[in-house]
Amino acid sequence: MMADERQSERPAVTEPIGRRRALGLLGSGALGLLGGCFGAKDLFERSDPGEQLSVAIKSPPADADTRALRIARFLATNLTAVGINATVVPTRRETLMRDVLVNQQFDVYVAPFPECDDPDFLRPLFHSRYTDTAGWYNPFGFEDGDVDSLLELQRRQDGGQRRRTLGTIQEKLARAQPLSVLAFVDELRALSSTVGVGYGADGIHSKLGYLTLSSATLDTVPDPTAGQTNGTAETRTAAPSETRSPADGIRMTLTDNRALKNLNPLSAAARDDGVVTSLLYDSLGQRIDGRVRPWLADSWTWSDESPVEVSLDLSIREGATWHDGTDVDATDVAFTYRFLSDTSMGAFDSPVPAPRFSGRASLLDAVETLDSNTVRLTFDSVSRPVARQALTVPILPAHVWESKTGKALVGSIDTEETLTEAVVWANRNPVGSGPLRFRRLQPQERLVLEPFADHFLTDVTAPHLKPFADGVDYDALTFRRAPSSEAAISLVQNGDAEGTGLGVAPSSIPTIGRDSSLDLSVTPTRTFYHVGYNTRRPPFDDPAFRRLVARLLDKAYFAEEVFEGYGKPAASPLARHDSLASQLAWDGRDPVAPFFGEDGRLDTDRAREAFRNAGYRYTAEGELVVS
Amino acid sequence: MVLLQFLGKLLAGVLVMVAVGGWLFVDREHAAAAFDQPWRRLREVTPHILVLLGVLALNRVFRNLGQELSWMLGWNVTGLIYAIEGEFVALVQVVATPALTVFFSFVYLYGYVFLATFPVVAYWLLADTDPMQRTLVAYALNYAIGLVCYTLFIAFGPRNLLPNTVQELLYATYPQSQILTSTVNTNTNAFPSLHTSVSVTVALLARRTRDVYPGWFKLSTVLAGLVVVSTMYLGIHWATDVVAGAVLAVVSVRLADRYHDLSWVWQAFPERTRVRTAEGRND
Repeated sequence: MMADERQSERPAVTEPIGRRRALGLLGSGALGLLGGCFGAKDLFERSDPGEQLSVAIKSPPADADTRALRIARFLATNLTAVGINATVVPTRRETLMRDVLVNQQFDVYVAPFPECDDPDFLRPLFHSRYTDTAGWYNPFGFEDGDVDSLLELQRRQDGGQRRRTLGTIQEKLARAQPLSVLAFVDELRALSSTVGVGYGADGIHSKLGYLTLSSATLDTVPDPTAGQTNGTAETRTAAPSETRSPADGIRMTLTDNRALKNLNPLSAAARDDGVVTSLLYDSLGQRIDGRVRPWLADSWTWSDESPVEVSLDLSIREGATWHDGTDVDATDVAFTYRFLSDTSMGAFDSPVPAPRFSGRASLLDAVETLDSNTVRLTFDSVSRPVARQALTVPILPAHVWESKTGKALVGSIDTEETLTEAVVWANRNPVGSGPLRFRRLQPQERLVLEPFADHFLTDVTAPHLKPFADGVDYDALTFRRAPSSEAAISLVQNGDAEGTGLGVAPSSIPTIGRDSSLDLSVTPTRTFYHVGYNTRRPPFDDPAFRRLVARLLDKAYFAEEVFEGYGKPAASPLARHDSLASQLAWDGRDPVAPFFGEDGRLDTDRAREAFRNAGYRYTAEGELVVS
Repeated sequence: MVLLQFLGKLLAGVLVMVAVGGWLFVDREHAAAAFDQPWRRLREVTPHILVLLGVLALNRVFRNLGQELSWMLGWNVTGLIYAIEGEFVALVQVVATPALTVFFSFVYLYGYVFLATFPVVAYWLLADTDPMQRTLVAYALNYAIGLVCYTLFIAFGPRNLLPNTVQELLYATYPQSQILTSTVNTNTNAFPSLHTSVSVTVALLARRTRDVYPGWFKLSTVLAGLVVVSTMYLGIHWATDVVAGAVLAVVSVRLADRYHDLSWVWQAFPERTRVRTAEGRND
C-alpha cells in the first residue's frame, strides 16, 4: 500500500505557476520552446498614452477555421469604426494556442472552446488561482474573489443548489465579460455512404463514434441491400473499392495537422477535442449517454460518508494491458493522478501541472493503491457528480512517463522557467491501453491506428458496454491531412477518405448535397466560439470596456451568416447545459450585450457615444486614444 | 490518389505544351545542334544543375523546420500588407467569370510549370551554355532568397484573411489543386510570390535571348504577365507579394549575372566558353 503523502499535504495546484514553464505544450516539440524568448515582439504592438489605441486580434487563418477568422474580421471592422486601430493577425492553431494558453501574448483572440461535459470546467477556466497555469486555465488573467468562492462552492453542491450557484457565476461572468461567448456550433461532416455510423450520440468524431464505425466496402461479399449505393458509387470517377488500400482501413481527414505531429495527450496547444489521443488512452470511467460509467475500471464503490468528503474504491479490469504488453495496474493509476497535478513528481520547487486534465485531477486529495488492482481516490469537498469527472482523465503507463519528469533540456534556453519533458514531449510512438493502438505516423501527412487485440472490449458482458463489445469493425483507422475543408470533401468524393474527421465549413454544404454518394452529418456540440480578452492589458482590464467591445459583436448575425444557420447564438458558456442561467437564455436578442446595430451593420454613432460615456477619449480625427 | 491523378494530368499537359513550344520556337538548325558536343555542354552546366538541385533539396529538408522557425522568429506581416493595399485583390476579382476562372487556373497551374520548364529545354539546344547556366543560377537564387523571406515573414494570402471579400477561386473550383500545392508549400508562404518571381525571371532571361528565340520572348512575356494576374485573380497572393516577387526576379537575374562575372568562377571552370549574352552577340 502506498499512501500518497505529498499529494495529501498539498492541493494539486496551490500557487501560481509560470506559464512559460509549460511552453511545451507546443505541438511541435522542442523547437517551439524558443517561443517564449521572443515576447519582446509584442512590445511593438503596444500603444503609448496619447496615441490611438491599437488592438491585435489573433485568429486561426481561413484555411483552418473560416468561422473564427470571419468573426475576427467583423470585430476588427467594428473596432476600426469606433476609432480603434484593429488588426487581424491570422495565426496557425498551435501558435495561437501557445500564445493564448501558455505565453499570454495576446490582446484579443477568437477561437472555439473545446467541448466540456460537466460545468466544473468553469472552475479552472475562471478561477484566479489558475491565471498562471498553462492550458485552458484562465488565459484571460481574470480575477474576481466572489467568482472564485462560488466556483469552489459549486463543486461541493448538487441538484438545484448547484444550478443556482452556477447561475450566479454565469451572471457575474456575463457582467465581467472576461470572454464573450458568441455561438455554439453544430458541427458538419461529410461521410461517404459506404461507412456505417454506429453509436451516434456524440457524433462520429468522438471516441465512441470511432469505436462503432463500420465500413460496408470492407466486406468482400456484396450485400444485396447495398446494391443501389454501390451503383451510384461506380458512376463516380473513382469508386472507393478500386482505389482504397486495405491496409488503411477507414480513412478520415483532419484539417488540423497537429494530431499528425504530436500525440501527447497532455499538450494543450496540440489538442482541442483530444479525440485522436482518447482512442489510444483509456480512462477509468467513460461518459456514455451523459453518465460516467465504468470503463478501464470494471467497478467502483463510494464510501458511505458525508456527501462531499467522499472516497472511491476502484478495481481495474482484470487482464488490462498496455499496448507494449505490460499489465495495467494500480500503480499506473496512482502515478497518473500525481503526475497530472505535478509532472515533475515533486522534484521541482513548484509543481508543473499538466496543461490538460490537471483541473480534473485537482479534485483529488489523495490516491492510494489498496492492492495491485485496486485504488482508493479521496476527494476533498467535492460532490459525487463532480468527482466522477476525475475518472475521465487518461491513465498513463508509469513505466513510460516516469522518465519524463525531469527538466526538459530544451528548457534551459529559457532561463527563467523550468520545464518537464512530459509537457514538451511529442510522444510520436504512444503506448496507451486504449481500444486502438499506434501503427504508423508519417509526420504531418497521416497517422494509422489499428485495433488492439488484447483490449477488454473484445470480450465484455456489461450491458452498458454492449454497443462497443467485440472490438472494432475495421483493420485500421487512418487520419490524413487535408489542407482545407473543400479539399477534405474532395478527398472523400474521390474515394481517398471515408469521411471528414473534423467539421467542414458551412459553405461546403452545397457540394455535399449535390453528391449522392456523400452524407451530411450534423452534430450539435457544446463547443462554443468566443472572443477572449487579455484582462492584464489595458484597456481590457476595464470590464466596462470589455462589455462595450462585446456589443460590437452581432451574435445572431454570426449564427445566421458565418455559421450559415448551423449554430446557436449564446450569452453563457453553459448555454447548452442544464444549468444555463434563465436570465442568460437567448431570446431573440442578446440578454447581456446587445449589438449596437442591426443585421450585422454597426450603428457607429451610438457605439462611439457609448465609448465616450464610459470615459474613453477621442481625438478630433475620431481616433480613440489611450489614456 | 487524387494527388497522383492531378499530378499526372499536370505533367502530361505541360509535356504537350513544351512539345508544341519546341515545334513553334526552335528552328531545325538549333534542334540539330542538340546532338552536337552534348558532353561538353553537360560538363559546363553540371555545377549549375547541382546548385539548383542543392537549393531545392535544402528547401525540401528545411521546409518543416523553417516553418517552425518562422512561427518563432518570423514577423507576421499579413495585417500590414492588408493595411497597405486594402481590398485591391477583391477589385481584381470584380471581372471574375467562370470561364475566366478556368482560364486563370490553367495559367496558374499549367502555364506556370510550362514557363519554368521550357527555357531549360530550349536553352539546352544552344551551343552556348551561358543562357542555360544563368537560368539555373537564377532559379536557385529565386528559391534560396524566397526561402529566407518565408522564414522571416509570415504572410497568409488574401483568401486566408478575407474569405468573404476575396473569393477562393482556384481552390474552390479545383480543390484537388490545393492538395498538391499544400504538399509542396505552406499557406504562410505568400510573401513574396514565387509564381511571380520565377515567371518574371524567365521573361527577363527570354529578353536576352530574343534574337535566338524571338517567339519565346513574346510568349514568355505575355504568359508571365498572365501568371502575375492569375495569382491575384485567384485570391492566392496580395499585390504586395507580386511586387516583391518582381523585385526578387530582378535581383535574382542581377545576382546571376554577378555570379557569372566572378573571376573565381572562371578559374574553377577554365574550359567554359566565352560569356556571351544576347547583347554581346548583337555587336
